[in-house]
Amino acid sequence: MTDVVRLDAVSKVYGKGQGAVAALREVSVGIPRGSFTAVMGPSGSGKSTFLHCAAGLDVPSSGSVRLGGTELSGMNETALTELRRQRVGFVFQAFNLIPALTVAENITLPLRLAGTRADGAWLDEVVSRVGLRGRTGHRPAQLSGGQQQRVAIARALVTRPEVVFGDEPTGALDTMTARDVLTLLREIVDGTGQTVVMVTHDPVAASYADAVLFLADGRIVDSMAAPTSEKVAERMTRLGAWV
Amino acid sequence: MISLAMRTIRHRGAAFAGAFVALLCAAALVCACGMLLETGLRGSVAPERYAGTPVVVTGDRFARETISKSAEKTKTKAKPLAERAWVPVSLAERLRRLPGVSRVVTEVTFPLYVAGRPFEGHGWESAALTPFTLSAGRAPRADGEVAVEAGAGLRPGARVPVRTPAGDRTYLVTGVTAQDLPGRETLFLSPAEARRLAGRPGMVSAVGVFPAVDVSAALREAAAAPGGVRALAATGDERGVVEFPDAEQARVRLISLGGALGGTSLLVAILVVVGTSALSVQQRQREIALLRAVAATPGQVRKMLGGEALLVGAVAGLVGAAVGIGLGFWLRSRFVALGAMPPNLRLVVSPFPAFAALAATVAAAWAASRLSARRAVRIRPVEALGEVTLPAALLPTGRLVAGLLCAGGGVALTLVLSSLSTEAAASPVTMLTALVWTVAVALLGPLVARVAATLVGAPLRAFRASGHLAAANLRAGAPRLASIITPLSLMVAMTCTILFTQTTVEDAARREAAAGTVAGHVLGPHLPSGAAAAMRGLPGVEAVTEVLHTSVRVGLEKYGAQGVTGEGLGRTLDLGVVAGRLDGLGEDAVAVSRTAAERLGVRVGGRLRLTLGDGTPADLRVTAIYHRGLGFGDLTLSHALVARHVDDPLGTALVSAPSLTRADLARAVPGTGVAETAGAAWAGPANAEVNYVAMGLIIAFTAIAVVNTLAMSTSARSRELALLRLVGTTRRQARRMLGLETLVAIAVAVALGTGIALVTLTAFSTGMTGSTAPYVPPLGYLAVVGAAALLALAATALPARVVLGRHPAEAVGARE
Repeated sequence: MTDVVRLDAVSKVYGKGQGAVAALREVSVGIPRGSFTAVMGPSGSGKSTFLHCAAGLDVPSSGSVRLGGTELSGMNETALTELRRQRVGFVFQAFNLIPALTVAENITLPLRLAGTRADGAWLDEVVSRVGLRGRTGHRPAQLSGGQQQRVAIARALVTRPEVVFGDEPTGALDTMTARDVLTLLREIVDGTGQTVVMVTHDPVAASYADAVLFLADGRIVDSMAAPTSEKVAERMTRLGAWV
Repeated sequence: MISLAMRTIRHRGAAFAGAFVALLCAAALVCACGMLLETGLRGSVAPERYAGTPVVVTGDRFARETISKSAEKTKTKAKPLAERAWVPVSLAERLRRLPGVSRVVTEVTFPLYVAGRPFEGHGWESAALTPFTLSAGRAPRADGEVAVEAGAGLRPGARVPVRTPAGDRTYLVTGVTAQDLPGRETLFLSPAEARRLAGRPGMVSAVGVFPAVDVSAALREAAAAPGGVRALAATGDERGVVEFPDAEQARVRLISLGGALGGTSLLVAILVVVGTSALSVQQRQREIALLRAVAATPGQVRKMLGGEALLVGAVAGLVGAAVGIGLGFWLRSRFVALGAMPPNLRLVVSPFPAFAALAATVAAAWAASRLSARRAVRIRPVEALGEVTLPAALLPTGRLVAGLLCAGGGVALTLVLSSLSTEAAASPVTMLTALVWTVAVALLGPLVARVAATLVGAPLRAFRASGHLAAANLRAGAPRLASIITPLSLMVAMTCTILFTQTTVEDAARREAAAGTVAGHVLGPHLPSGAAAAMRGLPGVEAVTEVLHTSVRVGLEKYGAQGVTGEGLGRTLDLGVVAGRLDGLGEDAVAVSRTAAERLGVRVGGRLRLTLGDGTPADLRVTAIYHRGLGFGDLTLSHALVARHVDDPLGTALVSAPSLTRADLARAVPGTGVAETAGAAWAGPANAEVNYVAMGLIIAFTAIAVVNTLAMSTSARSRELALLRLVGTTRRQARRMLGLETLVAIAVAVALGTGIALVTLTAFSTGMTGSTAPYVPPLGYLAVVGAAALLALAATALPARVVLGRHPAEAVGARE
């Protein structure tokens, strides 16, 4: 398997001088194509910064990030944006959708921004895969929280990105709805070979992934293949004690 | 991106309402000003009395000066004169001899008053110019006969007492005309009597030429002949300008007023719209961050905001232009009512002002979006992820630099303003100075707000819960506070500047006039010269000084002038002579105010060349310099000289008679007003009211902007207010918290606005009156501050009531 995302000795420092805070310290890791990876860690462990750097939303202080074989360092904001537009999909915890646009328009927003047209067959497949058939004309305000996250997932998929990043995608959902959304992500990885990287603090959510990376104090301290929620929870407890 | 912009506007109507209203007002103001400007540039007055005359020849009513721009390029500039320019009768003879000319009619013009009402007097020969015909009686032939217009309501045989430049006389009505012209009331006397009253032997005010022939060659010859006569021929609507010289001055005033008002409102609009769109970007931060994360490039965000601005600007511009046309008509009716615009100067209605308003509005909206987009594209996509919003730098370097540059510009303009001593030069610079200072404050706003919030934090906490919350909000929300402060301080600064420049000049002039008037009584208006002479002979009268006002031009520059009789001048007037001597002011002498003397570079004993009101050149000897120029005019000439060169030689007289009462004097000159000088109101600048009307619109506009911004800022906080309610804040406490925040904003804005106005006014006062202390009537100032505070509190309280009226649990869950 090839790596879709490759981080080499990536550090991120916020601030300068005495007040400087290192959010990431020399992180090196690869995300294999077609995998579902969960990134876990206690608050302040640097998991959000990890996601931002890996997705090209933020520029690391040092080190190299390669996304689908393209080196991100040295790219300006417009070039980064265009790269994200083609190769990366995002699902955030909340406020994922533009309230003025319908479901269909929200899903095709990245295509519209790129100035390309939606591939009708693919759009249909994405919409039916996330279970939103018949709701494409609705406004975000008319949808439940779970449905809104499905729209966000559909939007992340519509450009056939190399990798979809989720930042606590189920963080604002109740247990049942969260389970549905996680199942959907799992299906997408299995059914289409889509790579997904998800930051979460929920051991149950992490158990849907193929592998879990544990971050603490800006470093990757452990990883776990074939996770279960009990194993992850136990590891997290030790991590918390260790920190 | 345009369609996205359109969807956003439809969805978030409220967020764009603010910008929309501001732009609409701007468009309406620009359109109305455009109409005034266009009327000034192209407006015409239809001839009434000259309607039946194909060609009207009059003296050249312009002071002209040829300026050589380079070796081969020269440009002739012309400025209108204050009075009619007369031509010698010989010009009529020359015209009569032209081939093709069948008839020439000469006319003289002079003022008459019947029971204080002004009439224009002519000889009956002028009737042929309209032509007037008689419906009853016969034409006036003898000296004591008069023909009246149909509208006068008189019959032949009636007797009319008339005040003429030569004294009072009762005339017998011999004829009534069939016509009645609306523009002006006219009396016709016998030709011989008319020439006597006009008092300019051998001169005529106009020559009518029949039929329409080209007389330009003859006029050029006349100008080239020895003792050259500069005359102009008017045909078509140009005859209206000749007939109604006031209309020409009104047009010039409209051009400057329309330009200044339109320009100021456009600048204010940009400032206001930048504010509202910055506020709306601030409120849409998360949405913009999401767009950026979903992969909109900074350029695309900029384009989207630009698209929104263009759409809002276009719609607001269209509606505003329509409103503006109505506003233009209203302004015209106000100006006519105030006498600043003759009723027969028609408003030019064309699509140009509307198009200009639309273009200006769209451009202003676009420029504003460009500026606020600078903030928008700095929003980082990461901010869409979760609750964290990275605190933006308080004041980006670019803005800091721009703010400091503006402040520097303000300093420079203030210095320039303090050296300007003419109203024409100082007025536009005054507005610009206040605006530039306000822009500087707006740019440095967040810094100012942060400092202010820190300063007022401690006293605010005395108000317990609501005060504590308000202090915290102010400290955290410095940008929001700044966005409220900007329009508020703009309003206070503009209003104070507009109102108190007038009072400063008026007060200084009134004080000078009061200090310089030694005489106890003033006779007038429309005092015939005979009455003054009679008064001089009255026992107990020490001195009588006749006064006439006119304006003259030195080069092209206009100076207010008074003509005074020299005898006993020291006992009626004290102009505050600082050099030379004023008594025995002869016809070849002129006294100059200190400011004018500095500007003209003349001193006692030097010569001053000027053009009198009717275009006659004069070369006068400077005999005195005085300092009370503001109260009495920049130049003081001899009454005899001025009287021969004004349209209306009936002026006022100052009487020094300490032993006589007002009633004694009134008995001596029946039919003339007598007033004590102490109580006589000083006549302010003629266009003060016009300025109030025009600038009132700007004030109203900034008031709308204030309401706008506050309402926007309050209603955008519905979620925060709902949260406060849920954790146990009562409605009362929440309202008080908002009220305290607004009060702080008002206090800061009043301090800043007053500071800006004071700096501007001090500079203005230094230049115009020589005193660094501007005159600010305390009640007027309190009214301004009170009105600003009430407006701001109401604009906070009303949306707060709506927002707090909603059920908090619903409001807190609602999506932004």
